[in-house]
Amino acid sequence: MKGALKLISILSGLVLWHLVATRVVNDSSLLVSPLVVIAKGYEMMFVTAELYPHLVASSWIFLYGMLIAALVGVPLGFLMALSPVTRDYVNPWMTALYTTPRIAFAPVLLLWLGIDIASKIAIVFLGCVFPILINSFYGMRVVSREFVEVGRSFRLSGVALFVKILLPASVPFILAGLRLAVGRGLTGVAIAEWFGATEGLGYLIFFAGQTFNIPILFVGVAVFAILGIFGFQILKIIENLATPWRKEFETK
Amino acid sequence: MPGQALRRGCLSIAGGLLLWEILTRLLLENELLIPPPTSVLRSLWKLTLSGELNRHLSATLFEFVCGFSTACIVGILLGYLMGRYRWFDDLMDPWIATLYSIPVIAFVPFIIIWFGIGLFSKIIVVFKITAVAIMLNTAAGIKTIDPVWLELSNSLRLSPWETTYKIRLPAALPYIITGMRLGVGRALLGVIVAELMAANAGLGYLLRDASETWDSPKLFVAVVLLAAMGVGSFILIRKGEQKLAPWRETAEW
Repeated sequence: MKGALKLISILSGLVLWHLVATRVVNDSSLLVSPLVVIAKGYEMMFVTAELYPHLVASSWIFLYGMLIAALVGVPLGFLMALSPVTRDYVNPWMTALYTTPRIAFAPVLLLWLGIDIASKIAIVFLGCVFPILINSFYGMRVVSREFVEVGRSFRLSGVALFVKILLPASVPFILAGLRLAVGRGLTGVAIAEWFGATEGLGYLIFFAGQTFNIPILFVGVAVFAILGIFGFQILKIIENLATPWRKEFETK
Repeated sequence: MPGQALRRGCLSIAGGLLLWEILTRLLLENELLIPPPTSVLRSLWKLTLSGELNRHLSATLFEFVCGFSTACIVGILLGYLMGRYRWFDDLMDPWIATLYSIPVIAFVPFIIIWFGIGLFSKIIVVFKITAVAIMLNTAAGIKTIDPVWLELSNSLRLSPWETTYKIRLPAALPYIITGMRLGVGRALLGVIVAELMAANAGLGYLLRDASETWDSPKLFVAVVLLAAMGVGSFILIRKGEQKLAPWRETAEW
């Protein structure tokens, strides 16, 4: 029942789109039918294969940015949770960086790091690091007092307490942070490639937009959507595997 | 102790700014890469005096307010329907998931092609980026309402309208506020993206203008103003959240 309604919704939406595109608008520089988009996507994937270089370029930027964000965000979040002094000193800068729209930093980063891959990775990093950091911080903070007391009564040292109790207890939070970071990271990729790039999905979209090539524009946007949904689902599966004791954990 | 935290925070900001000033004065001869805070301030003062800043700020704020309030109204309405009626939720779900996972910036070329580069297209961008968060949170709030309250409204013989107005909406309020808080930051991003793409006023335009003319102090003025707007709206919403839903615990940020 539930699946059927969703299917009906998607199908009727596509049919409506097709009808609007062919009967109402009828101008291929404004809107094209989903059939044209699918044909174009098929062509770009299997005939000319022109999609892949863009996909690969964007994927590297995304993965590097995510990786560095995780490597910086998790330890920093832990440090801030365990040491109130660090938190007080770092907090104002964090809040300012976090609440500023990331795109404002793009020109500055471009100025500092050039238009190579470094500035792009930095933009993705800036997008991903905060959800990861905040969730690691929060995860470490809300570790149940009873767990810590059990550890204490077993006379665990500081390191052992951290490895055996604090770390595992905050894993679900970190994974949730990573999941939130996926969407922000993809936005970061698009922003980064918009400011001076010669390949990548973001470049594909903006080039298509500027040349009014609507089919390619739709294909690019669709690839972004698919990547976002897949990344989200994959992390959800990892989350369920890594933390089987938790049923569902949403931080929307 | 909040007083101590505040003092350390101020100390950290002041120390950072001082260090920034000294380092840039001593090490860099060229202001292009990192301008010292004092020249950023001077640039800010100049922009204020010439009235240019006022124009940019009011353009950005106007677009922000229009887009955000539209998103709130539509988002809460649709979210309410999604929370109440299962079939509506199922119907909307695939489209919302798709819309949600497309970066707004990838959407902007479409919006410019369809709606031009005027105020309307900016409102649409802000709407797109904000409405989903508010919608999903409102739906979650309506869905997770405590059944005891509904039984109470039954035994008080409240009409459906009164149930909505007196029970369901207040119960969902904290969720709605959370959605709005998430939306504010995203809305600001949306305005800036739209203005960077095509505009003749606004902070996004200022940003683009400064970066294309290599005017670093001006660039930093834009960045600092955006940071201030982000922090300001964030604090405002958090205050509102505490006031409207004081029972709800919030994370540190």
